[in-house]
Amino acid sequence: MTHSITAQVGSNREVSPQIYRMALKLPQRKITGQPGQFVHLRLLQGTTASILRRPFSIHRLTSGRLWLLYQVKGTVTRAMASLTPSDSVELMVPLGNGYRINRSRQEHLLVAGGMGLAPMLFMADHLKKVGLKHRILFGCRSSSYLLPAPTGCRVASDDGSCGVRGPVTCLLEAEFSRCNNAAVYACGPWPMLRATASLCRRYKVPCQVSLESFMACGVGACQGCAIRAADGEYLTVCNQGPVFDAELIDWTQEHTV
Amino acid sequence: MKANRRPDLSVEIAGLKLKNPVLAASGTFGYGTEYGPLARAAEFGAVITKTVTLAPRTGNRPPRICETASGMLNSIGLANVGIEQFLSHKLPALKKTGATVIANIAGNTVEEYVMLARRVNQHPGVAALELNISCPNVKQGGIAFGTDPKAAADLTRAVRRAWPKPLIVKLSPNVSDITPIARAAELAGADALSLINTLYGMAIDIERQRPVLGNVTGGLSGPAIKPVALYHVHKAYQAVKIPLIGLGGISNGHDAVEFMLAGAAAVQIGTANFCDPSSADRTVRGLSDYCIKHGIGKVSQLTGRLKCV
Repeated sequence: MTHSITAQVGSNREVSPQIYRMALKLPQRKITGQPGQFVHLRLLQGTTASILRRPFSIHRLTSGRLWLLYQVKGTVTRAMASLTPSDSVELMVPLGNGYRINRSRQEHLLVAGGMGLAPMLFMADHLKKVGLKHRILFGCRSSSYLLPAPTGCRVASDDGSCGVRGPVTCLLEAEFSRCNNAAVYACGPWPMLRATASLCRRYKVPCQVSLESFMACGVGACQGCAIRAADGEYLTVCNQGPVFDAELIDWTQEHTV
Repeated sequence: MKANRRPDLSVEIAGLKLKNPVLAASGTFGYGTEYGPLARAAEFGAVITKTVTLAPRTGNRPPRICETASGMLNSIGLANVGIEQFLSHKLPALKKTGATVIANIAGNTVEEYVMLARRVNQHPGVAALELNISCPNVKQGGIAFGTDPKAAADLTRAVRRAWPKPLIVKLSPNVSDITPIARAAELAGADALSLINTLYGMAIDIERQRPVLGNVTGGLSGPAIKPVALYHVHKAYQAVKIPLIGLGGISNGHDAVEFMLAGAAAVQIGTANFCDPSSADRTVRGLSDYCIKHGIGKVSQLTGRLKCV
């Protein structure tokens, strides 16, 4: 069930230049969530200029704590970065549909591009808990965008300053050549998701993607976050997603956030 | 607080009795059930549904929304399930919540509006109709009827003949003077007017040198348009006798009181539903508190109380 809560900031640290990890104290223990689900956040001491909430993937969730991983990009994230443990934010939590674990596959590959790492630690925690073999593949622009990830995570960067040089799909293709019974769960920028979906289709590997979109209501009321589906209809990212089977999406469209 | 000091929040608009004057604006509360426990349809005086058209509509090309200073732009494009699916699935679910339902309809032609009104009239569940003649995001119909007094009158008259229950016409602010349209709708048989719909607007992504919205332009809503909306309510109140339902940037009791003082008999919460699903609840409480503070026994006594001299 979705709750609307006021959550106090537990900690809020810069983990990489302009990238922060915020822990929020949950007032109710019964708040649950699945990897891939998101929160719709509103600042209490909000500026009057910014009125809409902002969606963030749940980065991690334990009993009593919820973590967000966010990059400072605009006025709202800049204000978030200045929050301290005496501050609170408002959350609608949890929203949307998370990743569905494909239990018919032996290995679970979590493909993250940049800030797309956000839901993957939660996903990795979950897969570990249920005892499924998994690995995170992380792609970023350069070492200054490197994010703290669990050991065993494979890294690729556009300029080769960390991990192997090239897109994260290089790492994915290497995994495919090794294992032919994988399932892919991806999150990241649109071009990276498009490349991942295309590679998965070529190797006939089931792939789920978590999409981002401008969003107003977060619950399927306004239809503002729509994205074009492969059949020409529109899907609402907030309540029909944000996680979709890659096959459902029309990858020929340009999608900006 | 003593029980006998609690103000009477009920209002009556064109014979339609509402338990409070705070309505959900069309397009911001879906078909009434999407918010689940976060915002209950029955807490509103009435829920005005997302615009329904004869055939289902998929809506405009994304991106469809964008935040602007103290507001937002949208170009949803009247995405909706169509009248048949609305009546068979969405309406029963909304009725189950106990809410009073006002259906918002739009067509490309007068005949389409009339067909929609007839079809809705075959169902007992809809208490009133709101005609959308002010959507800025569709090529045909919509705003074409809302910017020309004669077209507005012809449409209102035609729907009036097909619809016996309360008829509300929703006006556009995208005119130099709203009063001729307001009067035309009144003379043609409208029971009430909702004002205002969104203002034309746009935003540009300067890095890509492209419009932010897929539809290039959209409709502006939110706190940014509140002064414009108040102005139009104030003007229309002096021009017509039928009740006005004010909307445009309302998110709390203070805002609602302003609209009622300017002449609104009721108000609608629109964009604020997105920002905070408990906006309606807060607005109802704010109205109540204001009435208590000012010794007003009945919220309807606020309407038109503005003193300009």
